[in-house]
Amino acid sequence: MFENYILTEGSCKNVSKDGKIIGYQMQTQITYYRGIPCSMIHEVKVAADGVEVPREKILFSPDGEDFFTLDELETVTSYKWEFGEKATVFVEQEGGLAPGEHEITLTTSIRTAYIPVPVGGFKTRKVVIA
Amino acid sequence: MSNIKRSVSMYSLQDEYARGSMKLPEIFEYLNGMGTGLEFISDQMMHNTPEPTEEDLKVWDSLVEKYEPTLVCNDIFINTCLYKNRSFTKKESINALIKEIKLANRLGFKMVRLVSKTQADIIEPVLSYAEKYNVILSLEIHAGMSFDNPHTQEFVEVMRKLNSPYVGLTIDTGIFCRRQPRVFANYFRHLGVNEELIALTDKVFASGSDMKVYNTENGKPGERFAKDVAALIKTPAETQYAFLADGYENSPFDILDEYMPYATHFHGKIFEMTEEGIEYSIPFDELIKYLDQKGYKGYISTEYEGNRWTLPGSPMKEKENTEAHQALLKKCIEEL
Repeated sequence: MFENYILTEGSCKNVSKDGKIIGYQMQTQITYYRGIPCSMIHEVKVAADGVEVPREKILFSPDGEDFFTLDELETVTSYKWEFGEKATVFVEQEGGLAPGEHEITLTTSIRTAYIPVPVGGFKTRKVVIA
Repeated sequence: MSNIKRSVSMYSLQDEYARGSMKLPEIFEYLNGMGTGLEFISDQMMHNTPEPTEEDLKVWDSLVEKYEPTLVCNDIFINTCLYKNRSFTKKESINALIKEIKLANRLGFKMVRLVSKTQADIIEPVLSYAEKYNVILSLEIHAGMSFDNPHTQEFVEVMRKLNSPYVGLTIDTGIFCRRQPRVFANYFRHLGVNEELIALTDKVFASGSDMKVYNTENGKPGERFAKDVAALIKTPAETQYAFLADGYENSPFDILDEYMPYATHFHGKIFEMTEEGIEYSIPFDELIKYLDQKGYKGYISTEYEGNRWTLPGSPMKEKENTEAHQALLKKCIEEL
């Protein structure tokens, strides 16, 4: 269900700031059929080459401009993760991912008002970092 | 000639939209070509609902002006789980619903579909808004959460008490599955769900029942699944399959007899249109005859849900299924 939306193919890349690689990011679409306020995001998890990324190193941006930690995200009621729009998941990691092939797993889930358990899924992709 | 009318829910075209191959202009043009009414899900295709930008509203207005579609219904949600640490208070839910009523009116809709489990106690407090903005509040009766659900029964009680033309029901035809959707079973077969569990579901449907009834009748109190179902569940995929299999009901049409005076809308749920032009699980020809006998004059909206059961790597066939279902509805209505 909605697996194709979880981790956008070809979207994983390192991120540089002031000439230094500060981490890596990828894009994701909501695993649902409508947009929701970001506070209804239940879980965002990343694993790189089988190693789980610590929760506090993950930031989420519904628009690619404003980034929130997962703790902050719980109170973000005025930004929506819109259906069909690509949100950004950023992992803070000095030096980013080393050049070459990696296996990235992204897990996302959301709360809905009428389904008793969070709705979501995960997707693993081989990604190549230039 | 029957008074039953056809429309298409944007639910049917969700993947076309998500992939960017159809946005609002293409969708309006597509429906216009089919000569069918439009059911919208503003949370899906209008950013920042229920407070869209003036710019987006202008785009909407220009499309409505250009194609003049019949705007049948807007499907809305009250996000009672907006906060992680508590649910909405009644006042918060009321305010959210009032915003949705105003948006529906602004967009040109005269009906909103309230999702299953919408709290019944917020209906009476917003009735004056529904009247003022000329928007019917129609609770969805959905398989898995249908007439036996306590939330639904609370709503039905309020609806009967208010007895207003502004409060009614949207019936989802997923409550009339005579067979387990084949695309659903195949999807989980692909995930490794064992054949015995799938065959058990088929057998229960063939006996005229469904898994919700079967689990209730054959499970111990407090246990979710019947003993033989539970014994066949060993993997997470099998758990998910068993939970979701409950969401297809096999009710007789006459379950609607007492509710037809309140039926303001129908979701023509489809999972798979076959090569013969029928829906694999739901007998729409019989349904349309039943609705006509009951004097139903409203719309039936194609709601294609096979998109989520399309196997990875296989092409989505949203437009094909939507068109085939519209052709089936047209034929059934013309033959009345």
